[in-house]
Amino acid sequence: MTVNADVIDELREIVGKRVSVSPSELYCYSSDASQVRGLPDYVLRPLNTEEVSRIVRLAYEREIPVTVRGAGTGLAGGAVPVKGGIVLDMSGMDRIVELDIDNIQVVVEPGVIQDKLNEALKPLGFFFPPNPGSSAMCTIGGMIAYNASGMRCVKYGTTRNYVRDLEVVLADGKVIHTGSRMLKSAAGYDLTQLMVGSEGTLGIITKASLKIAPLPKTRKLVMAAFESAELAGKAVVKTFSSGVVPSACEILDRVSLKVLKRYDPNLVLPAEGDVILFEVDGTENSAREAAAQVMEVCSGLALTLKLAESEEEMTKIWAARRLVGAAVSRLDPTKSRIYVGEDVGVPMKQIPKLLEKVQEISEEFELPAMKYGHIGDGNLHVALFIDVLKEDEWARLNAAADKIHRTAIELGGTVSSEHGVGAARGQYMELQWGPAFGVMRTIKNALDPKGILNPGKLGL
Amino acid sequence: MKNGEKKEMKQVKTGKKESGKKESGKKIEAQGKNQIKKQSFEVDQRSVYKCVQCGTCRSVCPVFEVVGWESANTRGRMLIIKSLLEGRDPDSDVLSSLATCTTCGICAEKCPAGANPPKVVEAARAELVKQGVVGEGQAKLNATLTKFGNSFGETKSRLHWLSEAERSEIPKKADYVYFVGCFDSYRYPEFAKKTFEVLRKFGVTLLQDERCCASPLLRTGFLESAEKIMEHNLEELRKTGAHTIITGCAGCYTTLKNDYPDEFRVISVPEFLAEHLEELPLKKLDLTVSYHDPCHLGRHNEIYDEPRKVIRAICELKEMKNIRENSRCCGGGGGVRIGYPEISLDLAKKRLEDVPEGVDYLVTSCPLCVRNLRDAGGDVEVLDLIELVALALE
Repeated sequence: MTVNADVIDELREIVGKRVSVSPSELYCYSSDASQVRGLPDYVLRPLNTEEVSRIVRLAYEREIPVTVRGAGTGLAGGAVPVKGGIVLDMSGMDRIVELDIDNIQVVVEPGVIQDKLNEALKPLGFFFPPNPGSSAMCTIGGMIAYNASGMRCVKYGTTRNYVRDLEVVLADGKVIHTGSRMLKSAAGYDLTQLMVGSEGTLGIITKASLKIAPLPKTRKLVMAAFESAELAGKAVVKTFSSGVVPSACEILDRVSLKVLKRYDPNLVLPAEGDVILFEVDGTENSAREAAAQVMEVCSGLALTLKLAESEEEMTKIWAARRLVGAAVSRLDPTKSRIYVGEDVGVPMKQIPKLLEKVQEISEEFELPAMKYGHIGDGNLHVALFIDVLKEDEWARLNAAADKIHRTAIELGGTVSSEHGVGAARGQYMELQWGPAFGVMRTIKNALDPKGILNPGKLGL
Repeated sequence: MKNGEKKEMKQVKTGKKESGKKESGKKIEAQGKNQIKKQSFEVDQRSVYKCVQCGTCRSVCPVFEVVGWESANTRGRMLIIKSLLEGRDPDSDVLSSLATCTTCGICAEKCPAGANPPKVVEAARAELVKQGVVGEGQAKLNATLTKFGNSFGETKSRLHWLSEAERSEIPKKADYVYFVGCFDSYRYPEFAKKTFEVLRKFGVTLLQDERCCASPLLRTGFLESAEKIMEHNLEELRKTGAHTIITGCAGCYTTLKNDYPDEFRVISVPEFLAEHLEELPLKKLDLTVSYHDPCHLGRHNEIYDEPRKVIRAICELKEMKNIRENSRCCGGGGGVRIGYPEISLDLAKKRLEDVPEGVDYLVTSCPLCVRNLRDAGGDVEVLDLIELVALALE
């Protein structure tokens, strides 16, 4: 791409000063939280659907790539303009348009921050449940585009389960609505679900109607340590089979636990073993009953078992669990966590196997790896650490990540459970999907014949 | 804040004291200027690559909140600095990106990777100064400070707020010295007067020829100029024979404590007052006030409890929406007030939105914060802590 003065003038006509071609500004939009890099030619900060539509129409006519960006917290390079062109920074479209409590839904612009939405909903007794680790900074638009979730999706589902209607700007600038505020519809293809997770390759989300949920009255936490990951997995399966659906079901493997304990021996975690954190929520009675059920299921299997009921105690446990991504760097400041191979998923029963394989990979490539994740939905996060100033460590890191991705596919899983494919995992799409990937290509070509929407992503 | 993060903050600070901040101060005295720059940049290079661009800082950077471009948030600044390290030439937008950081430190507080962006930004600014890439406001600041020894270009005595007779009574030697600072000397001499009235009873002296602590120069990267001015102040401080420096300015406090050599104990006025509460004849006032934590007193040095203790000894305290580690910047620091007054004022206005209903005053303990918050307007009168103390001593 080369910057065209006419294009700049036309873009200025649409968004005024909210366009930049400054090299420093462009550089700031050349990456997200992944290792993918790509310089845009223009960055724009639109404020409404009409501006987005006009920009996209111009891009369509001139065949300029358009990459949409929210807060740039993505871990797969989805918001990185790998083919140059325009970056649309949607964070200025951050209005909560309507809190429609009577219909138990909200209408938001894509730049609304997840936590801000929940701050607005809390006094009304509701919440938007999908809660990625980046909920303090990520945007709802990005969550929809990548079907984000988080540890509570085991009970509440992923972002996909909450989207009722999207206002979408298509590749030629046309604006459509994909659904309605109805709870259900049996009329035609479900374009809403097609757009969710499409990573900006089929259209640009400019507004969303979202289902919300009543805030649970209380939460309780059962922390159990097991002699092996297999036993931990068994306890999880038995818990589900007993009729309890935890609001979170997290695993922390024994190697990670050791590192955490070395970092801070006083952390409120078990001394040893593979740890599962079962969170249950609901009314006081239902949560107490569910927690008792989990305790009973685990009692014959666990080495240690602890029930946390106070807010303070639960906060401490979750805080300790959250340290898992940073503990290695804190023990050795030359080590940084690099997000690659970090989001694989396998059928729940395969989690112990995946843990074992990842440990082997960690040892093979001599890279410290922390392993944790949402065992309740089969999603394992792997945190790999390197000294970023050493080139050979980068090579080993990338080789390890490649092996982790292939292992997940071999175990019948996915290369991404909740972070998306972007440009970081596109090469595995064919392998994971086989002929179904051809159908995805067909859909892409039908909706974006000139290939201007987020080119270079999803392996397309 | 999470436990681990807190620990990391402390580790970073300790690290700086051992290998960066304190040593750089010592090197001013012992080994010369070049080593300071080189060393601090090397320390920061590791810190630059600590940033994994997760965007946590983006969600809390107060400047980004009002500017909106990625280059105006911490992650953007870290990226730009990375690009400079990798050989990209600095353009004018590099300057505006780096110069708009107030060094408030909320990014460092929240960073899960333990990076310390304000220190990186300061080191990068110093590199830019070395390369001659300097903004008009910053150049003027450097020239003024170097020529007049204060940031306002004032030519009158820093002790003009004392009468001739009072000046002649200042003891030459004392265990404690009150470092007044530019703001209190020239913009708020009534703060200086009130502070000294309290402190002199405890045997506190003043410097005969105090100059700016050098904070504005250190924050904006003029290390050579800073070094000269710091050397002068060090000589003056040594002459008094004092073991403790007391200051009422958050900027002076963090500079004297963390950038000067370890020769003196440095305490803030709130710390001193909190230590001597029982010896002060304070009366209770029928007031409710709120308190704004100055970044360089709070987040940078963890002085949170002392000013609150003093306030509670006088009247009711009703906290702001964001306090202590989560306090929002007033917009005055890091050279932003001088270089980007509009951004600075926008930040102050945002901060005033955090003031709770039903308070008589907003109290803080930094004249720069007082200035910026007062300039931002608002319905609540802004007081320095010493003014509240003076009211209670009347």
